[in-house]
Parts: sequence; C-alpha cells; structure tokens
Amino acid sequence: MVDAARHPKVEILSYSEVERVDGYIGNFLVGVAQKPRYVIADQCTGCGDCARVCPIEIPNAFEMGLAPRKAIDVPHGQAVPLVYTIDMDHCIQCFKCVTACGHRDAIDFSQEAQYSELDVGAIIVATGFESFDPTVIPEYGYGVYPNVITAMELERLDNSAGPTVGRLVRPSDGREPASMAIIQCVGSRDKRYNEYCSGFCCMYAIKNAILMKQMIPSMEISIFYMDIRTPSKGYEEFYNQARKMGIRFIHGRPSQITQDPVTHNLFVEAEDQELGQVLELETDLVVLSAAAIPRADAADVSTKLTLSRSPGGFFMEYHPKLRPVDSPTDGIFLAGAAQGPKDIPASVSQGSAAAARAARVLSSDTWEIEPIIASVDPDVCVSAKGIKCGLCVPACPYGAISCVTGEAAHVTSAKCHGCGGCVAECPHSAISQHHFTDVQIVAQLRELLRDNPEEKILAFMCHWCSSAGADMAGTSHFEYPADSRGIRVMCSARMDQDFVLEAFRRGAGMVLLSGCHPQDCHYITGQQVAAKRFDRLQDQIQRLGISPERFRIEWISAAEGEKYARVITEMSETLKGLDREQILSENRGARDAIERRLRRWKASPQMAELMAVGADELPGGEELDR
Amino acid sequence: MTISEDLRIGVYVCSCGSNIGGVIDPAEVADYARTLPGVVWARTNLYMCGDPGQNAIRQDIIEHRLNRVVVAACSVRMHEPTFRACVAEAGMNPFLMEMVNIREQDTWVHGHEPERALIKAREMIAAGVAKVAYSQPLTPITVPVTKTAMVIGGGVAGISAALDLGDMGIHTYLVEREQSIGGTMAQLNKTFPTMDCSI
Repeated sequence: MVDAARHPKVEILSYSEVERVDGYIGNFLVGVAQKPRYVIADQCTGCGDCARVCPIEIPNAFEMGLAPRKAIDVPHGQAVPLVYTIDMDHCIQCFKCVTACGHRDAIDFSQEAQYSELDVGAIIVATGFESFDPTVIPEYGYGVYPNVITAMELERLDNSAGPTVGRLVRPSDGREPASMAIIQCVGSRDKRYNEYCSGFCCMYAIKNAILMKQMIPSMEISIFYMDIRTPSKGYEEFYNQARKMGIRFIHGRPSQITQDPVTHNLFVEAEDQELGQVLELETDLVVLSAAAIPRADAADVSTKLTLSRSPGGFFMEYHPKLRPVDSPTDGIFLAGAAQGPKDIPASVSQGSAAAARAARVLSSDTWEIEPIIASVDPDVCVSAKGIKCGLCVPACPYGAISCVTGEAAHVTSAKCHGCGGCVAECPHSAISQHHFTDVQIVAQLRELLRDNPEEKILAFMCHWCSSAGADMAGTSHFEYPADSRGIRVMCSARMDQDFVLEAFRRGAGMVLLSGCHPQDCHYITGQQVAAKRFDRLQDQIQRLGISPERFRIEWISAAEGEKYARVITEMSETLKGLDREQILSENRGARDAIERRLRRWKASPQMAELMAVGADELPGGEELDR
Repeated sequence: MTISEDLRIGVYVCSCGSNIGGVIDPAEVADYARTLPGVVWARTNLYMCGDPGQNAIRQDIIEHRLNRVVVAACSVRMHEPTFRACVAEAGMNPFLMEMVNIREQDTWVHGHEPERALIKAREMIAAGVAKVAYSQPLTPITVPVTKTAMVIGGGVAGISAALDLGDMGIHTYLVEREQSIGGTMAQLNKTFPTMDCSI
C-alpha cells in the first residue's frame, strides 16, 4: 500500500469512481468522479485532532461494524492515503473539527465532487469481491445469535489493530471463548445460493484455527467441512500442521445451529460422515466461512466496460486457458477476485499478469485493430440524392455516423467498433460491413439450407455471446441434436430482418435469432436495437402465414452453454412435432411476399445471382417457373 | 453459384487428435470439400495448428497458388489469430482466411450422432467456402497508443498491477472507490501460508 503511494509513476485516485468509459484499445477516455472528502488532501497531516473532538460515532465498516468511527475519520490507522474524510450523512456540522484543525485549515465544507476525464491506453479491472451475507441462511442463526460471526468479523477481532486490540472475545458477553466451531462452504457449494467453490475459504479457516490455537492453546477448535481443498504449494502441509496441533476436522455440513438462551452457547448439529454419526457439538463461538461473491455493482461495471460475466457473476476472461487475464474487450484486462474467488498469492500473480498484458499494448507506439468496420456506398445512399433519411445515425451506439441531407452518410473509421448495426438498419443496402457483408451472409445461408432445409434450424449468433455460448456448450460437451446450422456475425444488431425472411424463403424449418443479454452487449445498445427489430418481425412472420413457433429469439450469454444446448434441443423437438407438409406449405405460401420484399437486394448483381440460382429447388419454385 | 474463374480455395480439415477425428472422418470431409466450387485443394492434418499443419498451409498457398483458405477446426476464439498469421506469412491477406468451427459447434456436441455430425461438418464447410469466395483483402487499422494505464480497484491485485506497470515506467492511475486503498486485504490479520501481516 505504502509502495503504491510512494511510487512516482502511480497516481492514486482514492474516493473516486469510474463513471464512464469511451474509446477503444490504446485510446480510452475514462470519466472519473472524485467524491468530496470535505478535507483538503494536501493540507491534511493525518494527525487526527479533528476525529478526537468529533462528537458523532457511527459503525466503522472497515471494522465490520464491530467498532465505532467518528463522522470525520480514517477507516484505520494505516490508511493510505492518510487523509480524513467527513461522512456528511452523519455530520451534524458542529464545526468542532474546524477549530481543532486550526491553522492547518484542511477542512472545507464547500468541497464538491470533481469530475475528470483521463486518457489511458489500457485498463485493468481489479474490483475485487464481497462476502456472502449469511443472514439468508436461517438454520445458522447469523444476525440472531450474537456468538455466530463471520470469518471477516473474526479477522477484526483477533487483529492487534482491531477493536479489541487482538483479544478474541465473544460478542454476547465479552468473555474469551474456550471453544470455537468453524463452518465451511457458507453460501458456496450450495445450490440455494452459489454453486461454485469459493476457493480460498479452506485455507483461511485453517489459518484462523492455527492463529487461535497459538493465541489460546487450550481452545477446542472444530472445523466442519465438506471437502478440504488445499491444492497450492505448501497448503497441504499447512493443513497437516493444523491437524497436528489438535484442531478437529469434522466431515459434515451442519444442518442447524441452536442457542442456549441463558449462556448464549451454541449447539451445532451435523452428521459426521466419517463416523456415520449424528453429533451435536456445544461451542462458545461459531465462525462462518462465508463465500466470496461478486460485487453488488458487478453488472453495472460490466456494462460500463463491456465485459461479460461467468455463471457465478464474476467477470469472464476471454479464454479460460489461453487468455485468462484478458477481458472480451481489447485493451481491458482482469485481475484478482473480480474474475473469480482468489487468495492473495493468486491475486498478486494475476495483478502482475494483467500488468504484463497491458504493457504489451502500452509498450507499442501503435496498435492494429480489426478492419471489420462499416462503410457507406455514396452512390447508393439516398441522402446523397437529397432525400432526408439518416436512419443509420441513431443505429450507431458510438456516434460514428454523420448524415447531412444532400451528402452521403459518413462513417468515421476510428470511432466505428464494427457491430454492423447501421448495415442492417439501412433500408437501401447502402452500408456494408467488411468481412460480414450481406453477400457473404446470404452465401452462407444458401449453402446451409441447400439440402432438406425444412429439417433444419438456422441459428444466427453474435460473436461475443451466443456463438461463445455455443462454443461453451462444446467445451462442456453438452450434446444437442445436429439439426442446427449457425451463422456468426459480430452483433445481433447486424442481423437483418431480411436474413430471417431469406431463410424461410429458402425453406428453413426453424430460425433462431440469438445474441447477448442486454447488459452483456459488446456494442452498448446493439442488442436493444436487435431486440426491437425482431419483436417487430414476429408479427410480420405471422402475417406471412408462418407459424410463430418456427421463429425464436433467445439471448444467450457466453457462459450459457447449457442454455444454448437446451434452446436447440427444444427447437429440434418443436420442429419434429410440426407436420412437414405444413412447413412446406407455409414456406410456399410466404414465398411471393418475401420475394417482393427482398427485391431491393437484387440491385446488387452478386445478391441477385445468389438469390436466383437454385430457385427451382425452392419451395414453390415450380410455380415460379410457370 | 457462379464464382469467378480466378478463385483458388484451399480447405484444411483438422482432426484435432480425436476431438474431431474421433467422431467424423476428416478425410471424408476433405474429399467432399474438393467437390465444392472454387476449391482446388484440400487436405487433413492431425493438428492443423501445429507446425506441420501450418507449414502445409503455407507451402500449399505458394505451390497451388491458393488465394483463399478455409480452415475447418475449432473456434475462432481459439485459433483465428494463429491461422491469420499463418496465411499472412505465405503472403496472403489474413482476411482471405475463414475458419469453420467443426469442433465446439459440431463434433463436441454431436458425438452421439456421428453420421449427422459428418453431414453438418460438410455443410458448414460449404458455407465457409461460399463466404470466403466473397471475402476481400482488408488492411488492419492502425491506431496510436496512449502510454498511460488505469487500474480500477486498489486491493491487492490492483496494487500489484499498478506497481508493476509503474516499474515499467508507465504512468498508472489507481482508482479506488473507498477512502483508502488496500481492499479486503487490508482488513485481514496474518495471512497464509506465511502468517505475516497483510499490510
């Protein structure tokens, strides 16, 4: 902490929050709001005279509420930076602190939030975790029985800088406990709350047991566990040391804790699975090893930085094995427990790894980004012909498109992120996205639906989420019927209504339109644009006489391999339940109307060719030939 | 489909050990690929991403004057950069290479119906060939790099990252929401496995 404060190249912006992030790799613009401390940092000497005279005491969050702090205070004595802060929610404005500060004149009640915009080339997200709140587990009585505490509360109670200056006491009577039971997997490995293993709780429980045993050798300490997980270097030896010290490990998850109403002693009921016996253990103190969970605002951070989240809610890495510290957004990296529960050695390692990944970008003068951007054909854009249009402008989440009537719309390449939303929005096919052109997509579609299209599910997938979800289904080996055929584009916003219609014109049995959940969209609002567009299409499809169950919209995250497999399985079952003749007849019936609608495509010779060839194979083709 | 006479597409079907080859026969897929319009060459390899596989692609591009490549293997998330770099080394524009994911989105999810997995692989490759036929050479966009970093979160991971970046001479903003840095770590008593103080 002190090293960071002293480092000439590290600038600490404390009491500050990231409000918004714009830009792209090498060129991010980050808006940071610094909250007012009502104390001038440069003039505060950290002497604490102000806090001594402050008459207001409030619970100190740093001490897990076990000790008070003043309305003007620092979280703890070693705070970096050592600058006092007034909690305006509780300050009564008696101004005693101003008098105590005297000639240093560091207190400034008029201070306001400072907003600054910072240019950075790379961002590391290390927002950490928070602890699971065990009050929701009724059988453990946390919050009801005073002597049931969490491991974080124990950390403060046995800390020489903590509220009891390191003397462990029971909250109910201030007496030193003669026995202690530690319960593992509280809120983790529990399908009611979080299925994942919180990773480092076994080690901190063993650490706490050893520390307590060293402090109070006569203390009887029991650890209730499901499995002891000590896989890192030196950890198993640490576990063995605890066993040698006489710490009792009981293999079983407690089913209930009750309290003696007079002594406030606790009775822990569990089945000892090693002995196959139900036991009831009386103890002075119970410590819950609460799971590490994602920060409450993880979804908000995820949206600001266009990150994705894993099933447990932690930020998701680009690739679990090969790019474990990269986020899905180029130039943004992940470190520490924000990416998943981690102990200190792993967090430090990942911090260094993320720094190295960021330095890979920052050590270069320039960076190459994919040229999959959109461009306007000025000969086709109707705006150039003096017609008022500009539909593409609001479709761009980045403000990269300008359109003045009389001139063709213009895409600023450096601002374009390549979602393709404007391409699908343009009713005149005047915009094209490199590497994901209409021609390329229709060419794929045609091949995928060449044989027995009525037996197939054509799945449009976005690169970042639903296609990644399909990959995740693969990595997890979640099997599903081989009826689907996928087309990947960068964003669901790139998906044109006409692609879906073309699929039905080609005779598809089912069409799946899939993309990110709105909060996961890699292009800010791309998914929302797509969601609106395809909601409208649902009605049109029905009007064309196509059964509504043949077109499905699903938002599938990169982590939802199970959902991808389930959606395809369900669609496959629906398809098998439909009458083949009915599908053929619906497609035949809709064909003329779709043909009329797709007429605009035929302005492009390549598209005309793709659409015309093989027309005799299409449902209703025989009528067309007549 | 009418494809320009000039198209010379090479198709590469990866076996990925038994990941793909254990479900479908890559040779059968490659045989089918040879019948597709524009395809002048197709081959398989046990691991297309390995040196022998990549060397074969590079040699074929030169020897058979290939101007488009389709690699039927794993996810773009896995090896698109690999194969783009591979074809670029043989002088081909990397955007004239298209990957088809016959592993994650085929053999790994349809192992229970290998015949239909084979049909799917063939059709996926036909679609990849159709797409690459219309691919155009593209030039990456070069952007400048601002040589400063931001670390969001001043806990142990963030401090570690900021110090390393600082030591590399990179100006680093360390943004912390709370009044002081240190995060959860600062609240801890002695920590394992060394049992020393966390601050």
